[in-house]
Amino acid sequence: MTDGRRPMAHEQDRGLSGRGSGAGRFRVVASGAAPLALVVVLVLYVSGPGSTMLEVGVPLPEVTIERVDFVGSEILATVRNTGPIPVSIAVADVNDRIHPAAVEPDAYLERYETAVVRIPFDWNVAEPYTIGITTDDGTRFEREVESAAPALRPSGEMAAFFAVIGTYVGVIPVLIGLLWLPFMRRMGRQVYVFFLAVTVGLLFFLALDSVEEAVDVSQENLAGSFNGLMLLATSVVVSFLGLFYAGERLSGSRGIGGGGRVREGDGRTGSGASPRLAGPVAIALMISIGIGLHNFGEGLAIGAAVGLGSVAFSSFLIVGFAIHNVTEGVAIAAPLSRERVAVWKLAGLGVLAGAPAIFGGWVGGFAYSPIASVVFLGVGAGAIFQVMVVLVRWIGRGDSPANGSNGSGASGGGSSGLSSAPFAAGIVVGMLIMYVTSILV
Amino acid sequence: MATGSPRAVILALAAASAIAVLSASAISDVYTEAQRPPQTFVTHTGAVITTTGEVLDPVYQISEVEFDPDEYLRNFEYGRISVDSETGQTVREYVIVAEDDLVQEIAPGVFYNVWTFNGTVPGPTIRATEGDLVRITFVNNGTKPHTMHFHGIHPAIMDGVFEPVGGGGGQFTYEFEAGPVGVHPYHCHIMPLEEHIIHGLYGVFIVDPKEGRAPADEMVMVLNGFDTDFDAENNFYAANTVPFYYQHHPIQIERDRLIRVYVVNMVEFDPINNFHLHGNLFYYYPTGTDRVASFYTDMITMSQTERGIMEFTYEHTGKFLFHAHKVEFSEKGWVGVFLVKDPGPGDGGGYNGDSSDGDAATGGSSGAAWEPAPDATGPAAAAAAYDGREAPDGA
Ligand SMILES: [Cu+2]
Repeated sequence: MTDGRRPMAHEQDRGLSGRGSGAGRFRVVASGAAPLALVVVLVLYVSGPGSTMLEVGVPLPEVTIERVDFVGSEILATVRNTGPIPVSIAVADVNDRIHPAAVEPDAYLERYETAVVRIPFDWNVAEPYTIGITTDDGTRFEREVESAAPALRPSGEMAAFFAVIGTYVGVIPVLIGLLWLPFMRRMGRQVYVFFLAVTVGLLFFLALDSVEEAVDVSQENLAGSFNGLMLLATSVVVSFLGLFYAGERLSGSRGIGGGGRVREGDGRTGSGASPRLAGPVAIALMISIGIGLHNFGEGLAIGAAVGLGSVAFSSFLIVGFAIHNVTEGVAIAAPLSRERVAVWKLAGLGVLAGAPAIFGGWVGGFAYSPIASVVFLGVGAGAIFQVMVVLVRWIGRGDSPANGSNGSGASGGGSSGLSSAPFAAGIVVGMLIMYVTSILV
Repeated sequence: MATGSPRAVILALAAASAIAVLSASAISDVYTEAQRPPQTFVTHTGAVITTTGEVLDPVYQISEVEFDPDEYLRNFEYGRISVDSETGQTVREYVIVAEDDLVQEIAPGVFYNVWTFNGTVPGPTIRATEGDLVRITFVNNGTKPHTMHFHGIHPAIMDGVFEPVGGGGGQFTYEFEAGPVGVHPYHCHIMPLEEHIIHGLYGVFIVDPKEGRAPADEMVMVLNGFDTDFDAENNFYAANTVPFYYQHHPIQIERDRLIRVYVVNMVEFDPINNFHLHGNLFYYYPTGTDRVASFYTDMITMSQTERGIMEFTYEHTGKFLFHAHKVEFSEKGWVGVFLVKDPGPGDGGGYNGDSSDGDAATGGSSGAAWEPAPDATGPAAAAAAYDGREAPDGA
């Protein structure tokens, strides 16, 4: 035993110098890869060719009709194999009556493969239809469409339509909300905190709204095998942590108190460079991005609703979304109310927050995918949560002595910080505003 | 240093877009196969479709024909025939084998675990003359117990209810005197009964009157359905198992010739089924027990195992639909076409002469000319050789 150890120790010594470091690295890689290799062996053993272990139980086929389009005198059903085994599509039906159809590219679907089933059918506008697909084992899967409407085809006209809708719903309301900036400038410290807190409340509501929407989408349109809720949770967490990490890292304020005490000036001339991201402009920018992601999700929802014909798209709905989204402009404006910001910058922030509604409309209307919707809504929610955290910390810093220059008597921790009445009231008011305006949608 | 903010934004955007791109690539559809040139198809409903893909339509889908509705339509099994030397009674012996592990393509592209008598759904059409001794050696090669329960008159022990025949080669010999005259179903009668019937354990039993029936082009239609997804509703309906089959393979018949259809309704789940004939009316003999028609109609409605004999003659040539007028059933496959043709030049003369003879004189001796080809061989030929009394079937 002891004899055996010595050469090894010797080798390790050599490993520290030059040539041996390659072997050391190899050892690290190997030790990391060995468990992975064992996983592969396990998988092969259990499910590889020749294995009889999993022949217990019968795997059941499953296909999901992900969308139904009504085009000309055809009904198009997009079908995905969401089961554990390959299937062949054998029969198509409309309202439980067998109809001839074509399957493109072909009827055989590997796991997660999709096909489009084209059923020649003279459908009637606004009538409900149930589309059924029967697989080779005789199992029938169906999807109900509440009201048939002509499918949207990508065209300049439709793109323009969604651009107009997106502008009405996203861009204009946000810009209008920003117009409260001069009003907010004239407020004292406490009112300022109140409005920041309102923003936090608004954002919190938006984030929950995104999550709720994503849950709905995953339950209604996503096959169980996609684990919609876990996809959503993962998207939220990845988005939140990714943006949080990026923000912290680039602002240089890794420590909580990092540069918070530095008095922020105009974005261009500030001397405290490292906490730039924690500055008001940066916070407004992050809010814009978060809201932009949220509005992308909102655009998706509108586009999908129009595209799938599941709702009558009314001017009422547009008005509701528009009023709802005015509050988002307030959210961006609030942190800037102590700043001088160029108008073009302000407009840029507004467009950044609002314009994604246009893109969302295009994607949702022309290429709706429930998975993408869940992911985007989750990413939007995560982004908003991140912005909330930044904002809350920003408000919290208001308690620090450095803000004394404000002259608003911020010496007491309870007067304008996180534990103050304006903060609590602001959050409540923010959520109430959102709730009331959401009723309009 | 003042670039910190834009860089942060760029990174944040990059992170968000990376997530978006990842998700987008995850959902993008993977088309592995090369696109075929578009082809145009006229479907069986008349719809026209141009596609680079495959067509789901009974006309174009290739089926593994394990059951041939054309063959079944006019096939009658007369059994191995002998005469009891003591009583002089005709004895018809059959071997029927039950199985319950076959998977057959019961509709184009749809595979279903059928339970079968002699390998098909429906089982063979057993045909005897009133008073014959029917002796059936029943072998159960299935995994579950099965029986044969005949509708008709027989001793209790031959009823196929209280004497389950075990699977894996169990045997039972059913023996009874054929009667009464008419058309009857037979089916397995093991509990749960519905399960054993809907999987396909049924067939037709025809008892001919001793004096025979008027010569005719005879056929059997079992109206059946399949609940392939086990939700207590039929997914497919048909006359003789395969949906839409006779629509694409019209049953060819001759003008002015008597057609006799033995029709048996074996559809489960739906309380009724029906049969509607186009361009004509038929005489209907419920259960086939009476020699006088009960109805002259183009539409009959039948409940479970209700059956009867339809007789009609077309005076016009062309295509005539027949289908369930419960349209749901016809749109799920229970629809067919009679193609009425002028008698061919080859057999026309013989046919016309025979036809008038046959119609005029019941039990006329000239069956061969107008009987379809299959009876040249097999049991029908044997029966023809044996039993001269059976006017519809042979000399
Ligand atoms: Cu049985």
